[in-house]
Amino acid sequence: MVKHSETIIEAKALDYKYQGDEFDVSPALTGINISVRRGEYLALIGPNGSGKTTLLKLFNALLVPSKGEVLVEGISTVDHDYVPHIRRSCGMIFQNPDNQLVATTVEEDIAFGLENLALPSAEIRQRVTEVAQKLHLDKLLLHPPHLLSGGEKQRVAIAGVLAMQPHCILMDEPTAMLDPAGRREVLDTVMKLNREEDLAIIHVTHFPGEAALADRVVVLNQGQIVKDGPSEDILTDLKMLHRYNLQGPAAVELASLLRLDGFNLPPQILSNRELVKSLCQYERKN
Amino acid sequence: MSIRTEKLTHIYMPGTPFAAKALHDVTFELQKGQVALLIGPSGSGKSTLIQHLNGLLKPTSGQVYFDDQSIEGSKDRLLKLRRKIGLVFQLPEEQFFSETVYDEVAFAPRNLGLAEEKIRDSVYDALNLVGLVAEEIKDRHPFNLSSGQKRLVAIAAVLSLKPEVLILDEPTAGLDPAGRRNLFNLLAGFNQKEGMTIIIATHHFDEAVALANHVLVLKQGKLLLNGSRDEVFARREDLEKLGLALPSVTELMQDLAAEGLPVRTDLYTIKEAREEINKMKEKQQ
Amino acid sequence: MSRSITLGQYLPGNSYVHNLNPRLKILALLLLLVLLFSLKSFTGLITLLAMAMILLFMARIPFRYFLKGLRPILYIVLFALVIYIFFTKGGVVLLRIGSFTIESEGVTEGFFVITRLVTLIVFSLIVTLTTTPLSLTYGMSYFLKPLNKIGLPTDEVAMIMAIALRFIPTLMEESQRLMRAQVSRGADFETGSIFRRAKSLVPLIVPLFVSAFRRADDLALAMEARGYRLGEIRTRLHEDIICTRDWLALLFVAVLIAISFYFKL
Repeated sequence: MVKHSETIIEAKALDYKYQGDEFDVSPALTGINISVRRGEYLALIGPNGSGKTTLLKLFNALLVPSKGEVLVEGISTVDHDYVPHIRRSCGMIFQNPDNQLVATTVEEDIAFGLENLALPSAEIRQRVTEVAQKLHLDKLLLHPPHLLSGGEKQRVAIAGVLAMQPHCILMDEPTAMLDPAGRREVLDTVMKLNREEDLAIIHVTHFPGEAALADRVVVLNQGQIVKDGPSEDILTDLKMLHRYNLQGPAAVELASLLRLDGFNLPPQILSNRELVKSLCQYERKN
Repeated sequence: MSIRTEKLTHIYMPGTPFAAKALHDVTFELQKGQVALLIGPSGSGKSTLIQHLNGLLKPTSGQVYFDDQSIEGSKDRLLKLRRKIGLVFQLPEEQFFSETVYDEVAFAPRNLGLAEEKIRDSVYDALNLVGLVAEEIKDRHPFNLSSGQKRLVAIAAVLSLKPEVLILDEPTAGLDPAGRRNLFNLLAGFNQKEGMTIIIATHHFDEAVALANHVLVLKQGKLLLNGSRDEVFARREDLEKLGLALPSVTELMQDLAAEGLPVRTDLYTIKEAREEINKMKEKQQ
Repeated sequence: MSRSITLGQYLPGNSYVHNLNPRLKILALLLLLVLLFSLKSFTGLITLLAMAMILLFMARIPFRYFLKGLRPILYIVLFALVIYIFFTKGGVVLLRIGSFTIESEGVTEGFFVITRLVTLIVFSLIVTLTTTPLSLTYGMSYFLKPLNKIGLPTDEVAMIMAIALRFIPTLMEESQRLMRAQVSRGADFETGSIFRRAKSLVPLIVPLFVSAFRRADDLALAMEARGYRLGEIRTRLHEDIICTRDWLALLFVAVLIAISFYFKL
């Protein structure tokens, strides 16, 4: 895609080591090279402790590399003066919706980042209204966060990031604590933003089904990128996934077993729907 | 031997304008050795229901029975019943407070006032039961374990009471695929080897469904579906109306059947689905 | 879900009273309290109470919700009334029980004091019911601004207070959950000697602290990720401008004070 040529995030020969801080237990990273383009939807998968969250924090300048560098829109994250700029263009959504909402009402929470940018009140108001409409939060603006559902809380967090008009959203297992309805709510929102706003998404997840939504999947293991490619290639490479104690989507797992049994199925089956279609075609041929 | 509720109703803050019915006329029965899934959207009353099952909450009306004994009455009686009905809360490792794994797991038996020797036996048994080597792990600090180990220790801390019924609220939250697989294998073992009755409240039942033989569906405090696993998951439209999906494999089999392929739809694991699809092929040839 | 009613908990709305500047609300409240304590007559008190009721109506606060909020204070009010009735002497003896007498001044004084108390509470409730805790904190931090000069970081203090407010319901829920979890492991928080009971709180307090610290950590990270930096200039969504309606309200309070002094109410 020509349109998506602009690089948003680039990590070059990045190392991160535990820096002697007793409370910092971020797993180490070594030799990370990756670049993320505008509008790309990237899923980051890997076992617990493989360094997924650490990598996100490095992209957001919450951590700085021990070696190598991270460039966000061409600016190194060690450049202290540009940290606010970096955080504005790369917003972050965390796993626990309760621990990332700061304010006592939804509208004030959405406004929090804008207040930090010291924008004029009128502009903050305008952007809050705009974003709330886009994410269908307009009726909840005056509600306190603790009375929202999990999905609503995560959407408020997304709205707070979106109000900063970012080019990229980093998400650390944003659906892990939600019920299926909340999960769908959040995923639909994210997909829509990716398509319609041309936002790059980096999505850390444990659910193979969620990773299948991405264009590209990166596999981390013990602090290293062990695989990086289009989602239909990575998520169908079960041998590799199993080696790192990961699973493919159910449809992929089943399709690969059926191929062993002599079913002639096309290689790039990712979803139930694709598997059903192929099996029906296979049956009709016989 | 069974766990049973009869017209169980719970109202939060009764008599105030904030009164909210959390459970409404919930009646069901589980036999010894059954594994039940309790599913429903957030706020549907799952947590409220399981807290009634071991007497943590008192019903506003209705009853809970274990072995035909009503779960109510004096504190001592409740304590005895609670021993038999273990409840593992969501993210149970967040309850840790001890300095060693041993003390953490020993907390429950100590509260019973058992002799130290008996306590030691229950701690060792419980740790072994969850597949940890007691000698290796008992002196470690529970906060310094991996997330998978923490979860296992937290479950051992409930198993140390040797419960007959084990209730788990969202047991795999925060675990990676390897951790989840390990946990479900353990639960299957408890059920098959120890004959433990298990109730799992969860949103992510793709894996848990393989163990279950009974399903309870709650929404807004009402028990809307209550039946065998096959009965409940055959009602796809009803479930979808409730905002619930089918287990991935079941959905796939139903889709295949809907396309006119001659396959059974009451299947839940990839292994079962593979066998069934192969059978179909053989039949046709 | 936390459903406990907190005294004076904010009720969302969009009325004239809701939209007043929080700084002004605090200032007006202080002035009205001073006025309240300088009033000497029932006429004045009742007029003020009536004003408060009108405000309540203007703010469209459901009367039943309001009464509910008032209930915990009822006992204090009744207690004060009883104390005054029995222990203030003077005037005509109304009732004699043995050596106890109830005298007319006690009754008048008692009712006067409780009317004042109720009016005071009504005004304060109107402020807390119509102002988000956050605006209230920021409003108060404005009056603390002079302390900036002696090195008190008032903006940061306001932020800390605001976050505390945000997390109170979350932590209450959490402590309840923890308590139940430990009870289901056989913990007993209710019986035994004081020493035993204090010791039995360890399984509650340790995890609560651990979780509070983790939350604080997470929150600090989330705030940092959203561009919060200590000591940087921030703006506010709710612009802190005093506009015509605020001046009008202040003028009204000033007129009230003037009238009460002029007529020695």
